[in-house]
Amino acid sequence: MDDKMKQEKWKLLSDEPKDGRILQEKKPPFPDEEKKSERSREVWRFPLDESKKENSLAAIRKAAEAKQLRHYPSFCVNLWNQFRFQSWRYRAAQGTVLLSAMLLSVWLNQNKIAGSDSIAVCSVFLVFAGNICFSGVARLFSWHMAELEQTLYLNLKQMVCIRMLEAGILDLAVLSILTGLTVGSSNAGTGEYLLYLLVPFLWSDVLYLHMLTVFRNGLAGYRQFSAGILCGLLALFPVILEDAYETQALPWWYAFGLAGALLMGTEIYGILGKIEGGDSLCLN
Amino acid sequence: MPELVIDRVTKQFKNKIAVDAVSLRLHNGVYGFLGANGAGKTTLLRMLCGVLKPTSGEIRCNGTEISTLDGEYRFLLGYLPQDFGYYPDFTAKRYLEYLAACKAVPKDLAKEKVQEMLRLVGLEGEQKQKIRTFSGGMIRRLGIAQAILNEPEILILDEPTSGLDPKERIRFRNIISALSKGRIVILSTHIVSDVEFIADQVLLMKEGSIVGQGTSREVTDSVRGKVWEYLAEPEEADRMNGTFAVSNLRNEGDRVYLRIVSATCPCEGAAPADPGLEDVYLYYFGTEK
Repeated sequence: MDDKMKQEKWKLLSDEPKDGRILQEKKPPFPDEEKKSERSREVWRFPLDESKKENSLAAIRKAAEAKQLRHYPSFCVNLWNQFRFQSWRYRAAQGTVLLSAMLLSVWLNQNKIAGSDSIAVCSVFLVFAGNICFSGVARLFSWHMAELEQTLYLNLKQMVCIRMLEAGILDLAVLSILTGLTVGSSNAGTGEYLLYLLVPFLWSDVLYLHMLTVFRNGLAGYRQFSAGILCGLLALFPVILEDAYETQALPWWYAFGLAGALLMGTEIYGILGKIEGGDSLCLN
Repeated sequence: MPELVIDRVTKQFKNKIAVDAVSLRLHNGVYGFLGANGAGKTTLLRMLCGVLKPTSGEIRCNGTEISTLDGEYRFLLGYLPQDFGYYPDFTAKRYLEYLAACKAVPKDLAKEKVQEMLRLVGLEGEQKQKIRTFSGGMIRRLGIAQAILNEPEILILDEPTSGLDPKERIRFRNIISALSKGRIVILSTHIVSDVEFIADQVLLMKEGSIVGQGTSREVTDSVRGKVWEYLAEPEEADRMNGTFAVSNLRNEGDRVYLRIVSATCPCEGAAPADPGLEDVYLYYFGTEK
């Protein structure tokens, strides 16, 4: 800033009142004078009182700290949180399931076990894998946690959906491994092979999900475990029937598959409804 | 600051009406529900938390039904259930971190908050211990910590002091008193002294209905003239104990001091006494024989 400008500014400031008021501008009588006045108008600046400024900023900071700012976690964050806080046992079980699926497929191929034997072994394995994956959902209902979890921002219903999604992804991975590595040893096409594996899996999951909310007392864990074993045994049922894996039995497989899918949908809807109503959460 | 309105809320389980057309308006302050077992306190609290759906009636928070508010309502909520749930294989720290994540406490703030809460309830030294190794009192303290973890504007505590020793109970009362500013704190208990010390409003619940409401003094005054003191002979004391609701009985020399709660003078020579909240409890919930 040169000396001339400094002098002009000083002059303007010295014309203004010292108490911080902005003077009401007098209206010039002629338009030319108005223009001149516009030009000469200077934005008046208060001299800053640093201590007052600090105090005001401190008050704003305090008010901002006191204010509860809401943080809405995204779906991915919620998904990650559910995964992050799973027990190491459950994670180890998931890893074991995947590894076992691979080893089983390799073993079946190496020993040239094909046809109905291969399908039966794989379907029983898938049933047990499904039950293990679903145990993450079952955990939400254990230890009286369901009631508390229902009152959290991410509530029980949403947690159940996330855990089911996670279990579904893992089941899909197991199914892909089994199908990808063993379908060649069977006479059935990929679609048929998938159907033979999926039908027992669907029915066992229906039974397992039903057990989640039916038995919720001290023996619940044992009953669910028994249900898991029963599901595995039921998956072996087609082996008893002659021609169960033949083409002429396919309509039955389709029918059972459709019925299983419908029941599964109904069961999931029922569980979410029970959570919403709350009665079965609190009374058991 | 939230306002909770309970509008003719009823909850029916099959043939039993657990909560019967209860209407209340709750603002900032501590509300203590007092009632015998099975009075409907827990059911009402569960409905306030959104765990149970009312059979009829509405619960509104700032004018909107809580089921409509959904997650927004749960943001405001801190809840300690009667049967407090926990994963026994979690450490106290991990458990609180898990709940902080589920309560949408930002991750960078959560660690700080968890430590603050552990300090507040005196579990800082045990934060790395598995919950399965905790005593009943420690578990209860952990429950209180999780309930206030997200600095809730509506704090609902069901039997918060059961299982706590007197020192822990005093600590808990102080925490609640400190927290009560700018919040709705609702607690249910049958420990009369808890309510007496910290509740701004006492609500007496019987058979699903609110039978009395007011400040501790107002509620106590409602039984003025119904509390009597009497020094009786031992045989007479036995007889009176079997006939009336006796809130206190102690030997004084060769005679027995009796504090009787009765709408009418129990016997000649009995003198009226200043009522306390325990007398109120006995008057409403103790069956007069």
